[in-house]
Amino acid sequence: MANDFAPQSLMSSAPSRSAYSSFSPGRIWTMATHTVTQLIRMRILVFMGIISMVIVIAAFAFPAVSPEQQLKLLKDWTFGALKIFFIIIAIAATGLLLPRDLEDRTLYTTLSKPVPRYEYLIGKLLGVMLLLGGGLLLMDLVFSLMLYLKQSLIISSQIAALEKEQAATPENIAFIKDLNSRFGLTYSLHSAVWAIFLQASVVAAVSLLISCFASSTLFTILVGIAFVIAGHGQSLLREWFLDKMSGFWQKSLSGAIAVFCPDLTLFDLAEPAIRGEVIPLGVLTEVSGIALLYIVGYTSVAYLFFVEKEL
Amino acid sequence: MKNKILGVLLLVALGVVKVPLEDRVADSLKAAQLRDAPLALSLRESVSQMAFAAALGGLRSLVASITYLRAYVAFEDRDWGRVDSLMTLTTRMQPREAMYWDEAAWHMAYNAATSTQQREDLRAAIRNKEFREYVLRGLTIVQEGLVYNPNNPKLLVREAEIYRDRLKDPRPAAEAFLLAAKNGAKPFYERMGAYELVKLGEPRDMQQAYEILKRHYDKGFRYPSVLRDLDILERKLNIPAAQRVGHPLPPTPPPHRK
Amino acid sequence: MDTPSPSTAPPPAVTVENLTKVFKSGFTKKPLLAVRQLSFTVGAGEVYGLIGPNGCGKSTTMKVMLGLLKATQGRATIFGRDSEEVASRQDVGFLPENPYFYKHLSGRETLNFYGKLCGLRGSELKGRTEAMLELTGLTHAAERRIGGYSKGMLQRVGLAQALIHEPRLLILDEPTAGVDPVGSRRIRDLILELKERGITIVVTSHLLEQMQEVCDRVGIMSNGRMVSEGKLEDLISVENQTELILQDASPELLARIHALVQESGGKSQLISEGKPRTTLEKLFLQSTTQTGDGE
Repeated sequence: MANDFAPQSLMSSAPSRSAYSSFSPGRIWTMATHTVTQLIRMRILVFMGIISMVIVIAAFAFPAVSPEQQLKLLKDWTFGALKIFFIIIAIAATGLLLPRDLEDRTLYTTLSKPVPRYEYLIGKLLGVMLLLGGGLLLMDLVFSLMLYLKQSLIISSQIAALEKEQAATPENIAFIKDLNSRFGLTYSLHSAVWAIFLQASVVAAVSLLISCFASSTLFTILVGIAFVIAGHGQSLLREWFLDKMSGFWQKSLSGAIAVFCPDLTLFDLAEPAIRGEVIPLGVLTEVSGIALLYIVGYTSVAYLFFVEKEL
Repeated sequence: MKNKILGVLLLVALGVVKVPLEDRVADSLKAAQLRDAPLALSLRESVSQMAFAAALGGLRSLVASITYLRAYVAFEDRDWGRVDSLMTLTTRMQPREAMYWDEAAWHMAYNAATSTQQREDLRAAIRNKEFREYVLRGLTIVQEGLVYNPNNPKLLVREAEIYRDRLKDPRPAAEAFLLAAKNGAKPFYERMGAYELVKLGEPRDMQQAYEILKRHYDKGFRYPSVLRDLDILERKLNIPAAQRVGHPLPPTPPPHRK
Repeated sequence: MDTPSPSTAPPPAVTVENLTKVFKSGFTKKPLLAVRQLSFTVGAGEVYGLIGPNGCGKSTTMKVMLGLLKATQGRATIFGRDSEEVASRQDVGFLPENPYFYKHLSGRETLNFYGKLCGLRGSELKGRTEAMLELTGLTHAAERRIGGYSKGMLQRVGLAQALIHEPRLLILDEPTAGVDPVGSRRIRDLILELKERGITIVVTSHLLEQMQEVCDRVGIMSNGRMVSEGKLEDLISVENQTELILQDASPELLARIHALVQESGGKSQLISEGKPRTTLEKLFLQSTTQTGDGE
């Protein structure tokens, strides 16, 4: 390289790009994909590897228990792992983004470009949601494959056992197949994965809100976890304690939790799906609707705090 | 500052709006049988701290699967007290999971009971007493499970089998078998109920048993036991000879096992 | 206050009017008055230096100009637009002090990212990115992750991203702080080059000598106030003194000059005489062959 910033005509003629608009999906998408890249390069994919391992282990580790229990264990462990890891990813990823941009002062360079602050927030949240959605889709594929394999293995071994006992009547075979398909791969299981996506997205939106007035990553993560616990406990609180509580302070405390916390138990559809219940589309739509309300609501509040933030 | 106040107001407004909506969604979930039954509060103290925290976090099924596996290990060690307490914990976590109740009852009424019966270090009287206690424990478990899962065929069959095989009590066995068949168990179990009715010997029971077995006979289930019991019933109920279909078992029944 | 000399387009590049900024930190600490009643104007095409000690309010002023901070009182405009409007940022490129970028991106990805945020797409984006890499001498390091860049390289990426969308105004916060003399020289050359192309530049520094050769006008801040402002020559020239530098002067010649000064009488007198020294910077630039970071 020469000793000088030599090249000429770098400041070319008048820019040809489109005029500034106050809302640009293109900029939001840029922020979102950048966030995805950032998170992926932070080795977040290791989580996916761990979950896949849990699924594979759960599929083959317990040959001693009954076939139904084997399928149940596979589903229990998969959904347990998905829920834990994706909630952690949602909180940690979101907690790392904004406070870190602030700590590293990368926020200055970004916001000194023509980027409105709401686009910055929406882009970050969308990025986290893209990562959560993509990750869950991948995990659903792995899980479906393993469950299908396991189920086919069990059915064929059960039919073989029936044949050995000369009891392979069409009635018995149909019964076994029916039973296994009820406990095996169903659409409701995918619905339950979708519900985990909704839950994790809501948690991400709440974490984004927290990070708008928190200044450190650690604080965001801790408060985020507290919100997740309260969000799971609030329906219990409402069902059990609210009627029994008489004191003004007790009532206002549980009231405050109900008002400020999203009810995260609404998204716990894994248990009934594992049991073989059918999740109707109508219910799924309602659940998705309330998730959207939470996400839009909390992000709007987050914006109102963020726009005032002195950088 | 203005925006921050607006933000707090929006947060409160959101909270006020969302509570009735949450209740609505919760009701839809309940209607579709998708809401978890709450943990039985009376037994909450027996659930360890960790388990309770996880139960709050919607991870009950995962925790239940772990206590279940620990119970399985205890079963392999024939540590029946431990099996009972771990299976109780498991069913507390997921009371809507019939499989767990079924297996908990089976462990007690069959495995634990039989294992005690085989203990030669105990006096006969004590062995029999313990056998009966374990069987009754199994019965209690399955009946508790039926409170959370009313008319569950799997649990009804288990209940019926305990009455039939362990307690030799045909009437509740028959009732449970027939109820199970009515609620989706295999048709086979309806015949099991009929066989128990035959044992009772009352005319009303015999009439009911005859109707069941004849119906199965007409559908093509002409197994030796069906024919044998039909034969008994036809004679006791004085069915006209022309309508009789049953006949006793062949004179020398081949031994199934050597 | 001075009016800007180059009279071009009607709206000045920057105006700061009666700017006051108070930081309230916590409930117990007393409020901090960072900038008080600050006013200045930068005409289009000018290079304006905002100088002063650390903590005098330079950075705060810049942040207000960029909409990163809200003014407690007063306002700032960029080419006639209020600096609180996001749209005003279209015309601004900003190089923060000690810039940090996303460590996980390479140099090229960083420029692409900022280019896209400025609305650049497709071949235009690609062209601008490559041009900026070349301009700042980073082409060879474009594929490397920023996490491995040296301080000087970070400074250059910072310049590249500030210029990616061809802004009409460039705001540089301490561009030469912590950069070695070669890098610092380059940055000053670049400022002059950009000035020739008609770009307005506002630059802060506490390294006064470096500002001397690039700024048309300077404002000196202290304790959040503007204490002195004006054209550089006016501010630094000592009106009643004259400097002569001679080469190969014989002792006789020097003696005659002394005599002449004495003869002329009046108030004139010789104040100092000696051999001029090269500056340490010049010496460094002459004797180092290494051309900068990472090359």
